[in-house]
Amino acid sequence: MSGISNIKSHIQTFLKEIGELSYFTARFFKETFRKPFEFKEFLRQCYSMGNRSLVLVGITGFIIGLVLTLQTRPTLMEFGAVSWMPSMVGISLIREIGPMITALVCAGRIGSGIGAELGSMRVTEQIDAMEVSGTNPFKYLVVTRVLATTFMIPLLVIIGDAIGLYGSYLVEHLKGDVSFQLYFNQVFESLEFGDIIPATIKSFFFGLAIGLVGCFKGYYCGKGTAGVGRAANSAVVFTSLLLFIIDFIAVFAADIFYDL
Amino acid sequence: MNANSQKIRLGLFVIIGTLLFVLGIYLIGQKQNMFKRTFMISAEFQNVNGLQKGNNVRYSGINIGTVRAIEMVNDSIVKVEMNIQENIVKHIRKNAVATIGSDGLVGNMIINILPRDGMAGVIENGDMIKSFSKVEPDDLLSNLSVTIKNTEILTEDLLKITNAINNGQGTLATVLNDTVMSSDLKQTIKTLKEVSVNASNTLLEFNGLVKSIKTDDASILGLLLNDTVSGNKLKMILQTIETSSVKMENSVEKINTIIENVNTSDGAFNYVIKDTSLVNSLKSTLKNVNEGTDKFNQNMEALKHNFLTRGYFRKLNKEERKAKEN
Repeated sequence: MSGISNIKSHIQTFLKEIGELSYFTARFFKETFRKPFEFKEFLRQCYSMGNRSLVLVGITGFIIGLVLTLQTRPTLMEFGAVSWMPSMVGISLIREIGPMITALVCAGRIGSGIGAELGSMRVTEQIDAMEVSGTNPFKYLVVTRVLATTFMIPLLVIIGDAIGLYGSYLVEHLKGDVSFQLYFNQVFESLEFGDIIPATIKSFFFGLAIGLVGCFKGYYCGKGTAGVGRAANSAVVFTSLLLFIIDFIAVFAADIFYDL
Repeated sequence: MNANSQKIRLGLFVIIGTLLFVLGIYLIGQKQNMFKRTFMISAEFQNVNGLQKGNNVRYSGINIGTVRAIEMVNDSIVKVEMNIQENIVKHIRKNAVATIGSDGLVGNMIINILPRDGMAGVIENGDMIKSFSKVEPDDLLSNLSVTIKNTEILTEDLLKITNAINNGQGTLATVLNDTVMSSDLKQTIKTLKEVSVNASNTLLEFNGLVKSIKTDDASILGLLLNDTVSGNKLKMILQTIETSSVKMENSVEKINTIIENVNTSDGAFNYVIKDTSLVNSLKSTLKNVNEGTDKFNQNMEALKHNFLTRGYFRKLNKEERKAKEN
């Protein structure tokens, strides 16, 4: 009996969280278009989330491009289709792997960071203090961060894709003596708008999800240092799950609109 | 960290990201000829073999455009519209032919525009070019299946024939098995061989004869065949004979005409020839003239002896003698 009630309470907690997140999202959109705009803080967050994640995203993208090419090369060689490598890596990276890997890395770095930062501010009652002092903490802390992730993640994805393709080119150049121009000609020969546009739109939603979940978890953090830890942890877990769900919906929508 | 430095770095990051995105969009758009002025041409096919919008169009192996639209005209014809780069259009003639092929063994479908020989004007915007459908793998396979069936029938027939030969049935079996016939055949072949040798010798002799005629200028045939001067002379003689015969023919014709005229006309000649009474009159006239002349001679002789005219005649004789002496 206790087991059933346990499951019931879990479901109730989950639904409550979804409901709160929906309210939180609605509030975010409402506050975004309401003055005053915290532009300075927005730029600071952009720098913190965009520039500071660049190295991480760059290294990850480079290694993914490198590994993808190295792993696929023997199979393609078996079929005598190594010349298809640029097309295959280009489509894989730009359509799926690039946005997804970048978003997951950012969910780990940025999502957990936001969760921990806002959580600790909640625990140390800084958010309450801001409310008392007349500053809108939601606007200052949440809107700026969510907007920053929404705009920075697509840029990180594009740069990550470019670095990933360069990594793949290096392998092809060293093993197959393919020129830079030929490699990138073949990449763009195989790409369509149906590859790059849905991937970019998807990246905006990834950024929005990372920012919203991170802020939500931190903003409504439990009491004590354990609560901060939990907030950071659940922000990453929940964001990662949400990223896959958004990815599925995005691919489904792209399939309908672009007839992939 | 300095706030300005942060902003500069952020700006750089945003610009690089945006530039990469714009570059990607541009490169993809350029591939689909979105940023170039294009011409539209079309072609009609019976089967487009899975061709899609955006597939490449090639001219002599160069990518020059993309498929713009594919639409069914009726139950058996599909119209394909193509965007062609404007700078290439001047090289495409109106007699060019479009075919649908694939890019490699498992590649995308493409349209190949092939130039044709002969003079034709440069293609214009909206023109429709001819199309050519290649043999499809399905057609090849169906043809192959017909060929295999035929081969099967042939093999069966061949088997029957070989069985019949082995069992000694038919002429071929007789030819193969009869030893007498083989010796006859041998003899025939031997005779044929001798005949061919004789024929060869005769031909050689004939060749020698012809050669000698050609080379020997002393013989008439050799002279006629080899001496160009004699040949020309003979030619001229023949021409002259021909001309003379023509002239003679004309003359004979004219004589015939005259004779005919003489026979048919009422002229004096015809009268002279045909009228017998005139002949008689003429005879008597001539007789009278002769008699008259005799009598005149006698009168003249009488005058010479007359004393009145005798001096005149003597004077004449003297002058004649003087002229002979001088």
